[in-house]
Amino acid sequence: MGRYGTALAGLGMIAFFVVFAPNFASPANIINVLKETSFLAIMSLGFMLALIVSELDLSIAEVSSLAAVVCGALVHFGVDPLLAVATALGIGFGAGVLNGIGVTVFKIPSLIMTLGTAAIAKGFGFMITKGVGFVGRWPTSFTGISRGELLGIPLLVIWLALAGFFSWFLLAHTRTGARMISTGEADEAARLSGIDVKGMKRLGLLLSGVFAAITAVLLAANLSSAAPQMAGDYFLYAIAAVLLGMTMFKPGHPNVLGTLFAALVLRVLGNGLVLLGAQYYWQDIILGLIIIGSVAFSASVLKKVAFSI
Amino acid sequence: MRLFKLLAAAAVAVAVAGPASAFEIGVIGFQFTADTHARVANAAKDAAEAKGWDVTLLNSEGSLPKHAEQFDALIAKGVDAIIVAMGKPVEADAQFEAAKNAGIPVITVQSGASPHALFEIQANEYKIGADAALYLLGLMGYEGKILESRFEMNAASRIRGKVLDMVLTENPQVEVLGSFSMNRTRSWRDDVRTGMQALLLRHQGQVEGIWVSFDGQAYIIDDLLQAQGVERGQIPMVSVDGGEETYRRIADPNSSLLATVTIPFEEMGAAAVDAVERIVVNGEPKENITAGPYLFMDAVLVDENNVGDFLKE
Repeated sequence: MGRYGTALAGLGMIAFFVVFAPNFASPANIINVLKETSFLAIMSLGFMLALIVSELDLSIAEVSSLAAVVCGALVHFGVDPLLAVATALGIGFGAGVLNGIGVTVFKIPSLIMTLGTAAIAKGFGFMITKGVGFVGRWPTSFTGISRGELLGIPLLVIWLALAGFFSWFLLAHTRTGARMISTGEADEAARLSGIDVKGMKRLGLLLSGVFAAITAVLLAANLSSAAPQMAGDYFLYAIAAVLLGMTMFKPGHPNVLGTLFAALVLRVLGNGLVLLGAQYYWQDIILGLIIIGSVAFSASVLKKVAFSI
Repeated sequence: MRLFKLLAAAAVAVAVAGPASAFEIGVIGFQFTADTHARVANAAKDAAEAKGWDVTLLNSEGSLPKHAEQFDALIAKGVDAIIVAMGKPVEADAQFEAAKNAGIPVITVQSGASPHALFEIQANEYKIGADAALYLLGLMGYEGKILESRFEMNAASRIRGKVLDMVLTENPQVEVLGSFSMNRTRSWRDDVRTGMQALLLRHQGQVEGIWVSFDGQAYIIDDLLQAQGVERGQIPMVSVDGGEETYRRIADPNSSLLATVTIPFEEMGAAAVDAVERIVVNGEPKENITAGPYLFMDAVLVDENNVGDFLKE
């Protein structure tokens, strides 16, 4: 029950909405929920990959917003969308490298380093836009990245599946993934066994930056706009998704399946409550209660895991 | 146990949602930390509930992705109409179009026009901008040095600023000492306080007037001026929006906020609901309300001469 308790509760919540929320189970709404989950889930996977190596990346939302602003600006001024996307990914990559160097070379705690990166990214976002976002009816060659379909499946869902598969494969089926996990669980032991601990930490932070940039491209393409702090709303939700994910499947450990399912649960909750007609303030209250409740219910499991290490 | 508690929490949602009725609308406000957004949305909610309709009131919290998601959810819910207060029709173009395709009429308030919405209810921001700018310059005798507190991210505030620029080009005796534009949408009060405090300190003793893009900013600047011991009339300040707090300050002998152009936010929210009733419920053509994409509502300049008419007992 400990491994699956939160997941079962999430499934119970989904079942509840299926029964009581009008149109919740309609195909159009399910597709909407999956599409909306993709932004949060991809960013959460990045945060999780940093947490796997025992580092916190608090810059994800601001780096994502900056990447979206730069990508949006380039598309807005007629630059080839491919180049715009590559530039956005480069920003995520660069932010990841910067965080990695700060943490491993200059020994700055990731909490501080990534907060600094977040502030820098936010500043650049405002410097580029002067506070006024880029908005327009952009070419479908760009917006199609997010709004398009492949064989009837929304591309957002496909990007999410690819990001999820990459993360799962990396952690479960590669030596690098195993080294990342070892680094996060006991870095001194990992170092003594010959693992490049600093390299693994840099990799985790780099992937976090790249995933934030992927989210940025998808967001900008979906909304056909880019503004400073546009991804800010995902910051706390991404952390919540990873922490909630740690209460299921592999309790006490950041894991791909748990993160993906938790992101879905968080989005389902928001969507289901709107369908039930709950006012916005109730949504926040209930969301907070469920996050606290879910983690509290799993606290005993988390304690057991903590003592067993 | 876990499942039971989660279900119990969700059951609360059902309880707060209330019973279903025949007619249902969704009201989306873009950011309720801005008083004006909440005023329009709350007025629309109250007017709709007074008609016995079900209302789902949503706050996008200043987030574009959340704005779009809420639209999607209301479309999936199959509401009979959607009212959007200070929304983002260009950014949420796909959702506006989806609502139109789903047969859900959308009326926007102070958001900007959309080809997929029935129409936009707004005050004429160009006229408002001119009223505010000319009133301030009149108080200064059309000469002197001013500070500006702008908000370029918001279309209405931006228009007011552009009209001020035009007025200033015709009045070169008025010099802009410094200009601050708030950038943060969530922590905007702190942003304004920090930015304007810096400008006031830098130009201490030189400022002869302050132009402010909306009243929320004016309250903060007024408090800064009072803390610095500035007396009423010493640095006249004019703003836009209106509301109880604004009227109280205009009537306050210690306040530097001397006038505002009052936008009828509550009436706009109620007018949106009235339009939904006439078009969707009664089946009247949209042209009976307005022929074009806009329904303009009058804004009134309020100063110490007429503030008594606006102050509640």
